[in-house]
Amino acid sequence: MTYEPRIIGFLCTWCSYTGADLAGTARLQSAWNLRSIRVPCSGRVSPELIMKAFDQGADGVLVLGCHIGECHYDNGNHRTAKRLPVLHSLMEFAGLEPERLRLGWVSASEGERFARIVNEFTDVVRELGPCSWQQNGHRPQAVRAILESEV
Amino acid sequence: MSYTTEIQATARDLLSSDQVSCVIGYEVGPRGRTRPAFIYTADDADRLVWNQNCTHNLTTYLHQKLRPNGYTSAPAETERVAIVVKACDSRAINVLVAESQINREQVHVIGVACDGVFEGAGLGRSDGATLQHRCTECGERTPVTYDTLIGEPQAVDTLDSEHDLAHLEAMTPAERAEFWLSQFDRCIRCYACRQACPMCSCPTCLYERDDSQWIGMGNGLNEKRTFHLGRAYHLAGRCIGCDECERVCPVDIPIGLLNRKLAGEVEAAFGYRAGLEPIPSPLTTILSGKEG
Ligand code: SF4
Ligand code: SF4
Ligand code: FES
Repeated sequence: MTYEPRIIGFLCTWCSYTGADLAGTARLQSAWNLRSIRVPCSGRVSPELIMKAFDQGADGVLVLGCHIGECHYDNGNHRTAKRLPVLHSLMEFAGLEPERLRLGWVSASEGERFARIVNEFTDVVRELGPCSWQQNGHRPQAVRAILESEV
Repeated sequence: MSYTTEIQATARDLLSSDQVSCVIGYEVGPRGRTRPAFIYTADDADRLVWNQNCTHNLTTYLHQKLRPNGYTSAPAETERVAIVVKACDSRAINVLVAESQINREQVHVIGVACDGVFEGAGLGRSDGATLQHRCTECGERTPVTYDTLIGEPQAVDTLDSEHDLAHLEAMTPAERAEFWLSQFDRCIRCYACRQACPMCSCPTCLYERDDSQWIGMGNGLNEKRTFHLGRAYHLAGRCIGCDECERVCPVDIPIGLLNRKLAGEVEAAFGYRAGLEPIPSPLTTILSGKEG
């Protein structure tokens, strides 16, 4: 069986989640790899949620919110826009491939854009292969592989 | 006059005129170790000292002194304390003020234009010669905010601070993961790092809740990594780089690397360094830069 990545999507209920619905009713093909989690606002997506997703075996995490200026809580997505890049560089510094985490803006009417982002992201993550972030109390697979290749 | 006598004179003055109820400073304990001291009477002011083993960031005690009833009530407005700070510690005062944790009027800041503190200080194994990492990087040496200044304002050349980060950044993601996991593996979750930090001021720490469904308090490597990365992230744009968290860690986890990495990211993105002025970190504001 070919490798298929597991992708967690944190979708803002006011925009991207509805955008996902629209993509569905319009019968647009979007990758089935995405497991959607509906959040009240992209500002709700704390770093711990993202790390938890990776801890539990996600290969990629997609955070989608309303376009700047369209957040239903006025500035929730301003915070997301500022915080996510910082988290991104932190997780990269801790050993995550940066391509595995992505932030995007999708409005409720952009079903097509939703499908495109999800498909692109899934392709990128598929290309990267399984993520080594997950720990089961032991060293991750990728690290084991390095250690073994050195023997 | 030496710094020590100047600090003692200031403290005596403040206490005898009832301007403050307590002076938070340093003393030398019976085993010769420099340690934090709380001075409540003018007679006790003689205990205060200044030396290059004054490593502790005393601002972490301000909450306890100014909010004796914890966070459930407003700060006791009548309480006023004095505190001895180095240049780095003084930046913590600004962050605490910006975050409404303390009122600046309630603190009499005794700022020391310091010459740096020694490696091993606070642990009783200072060699009296090697400056701590933060001090070799520090170009300030003069507190950014003070009510009384001990010593003369001064500036020094700093050493290159990037080398230790560059080494890690040059690694592949898998190597960095290995590096950090082997570090976090040692953590015993004693929370000493958090306790030492003046910015770690939440009444209930997110990482110390046994009712949490999604952030564990356990010693699994996942949970320890989430704790460390999460804590570093919570301090992004707030950490003033005193490196006390790293100093107090009983298992020598290089927490400062994470803090410096994030301070660099915030500075690159927003041109902001924590604590230079009493304004909130741009990471906690909305895009136009206003607090929203
Ligand atoms: S002080 Fe060290 S061992 Fe204790 S919780 Fe912090 S990092 Fe872990
Ligand atoms: S995180 Fe560490 S270096 Fe930063 S302010 Fe807190 S104790 Fe100081
Ligand atoms: S409501 Fe959609 S991002 Fe805030």
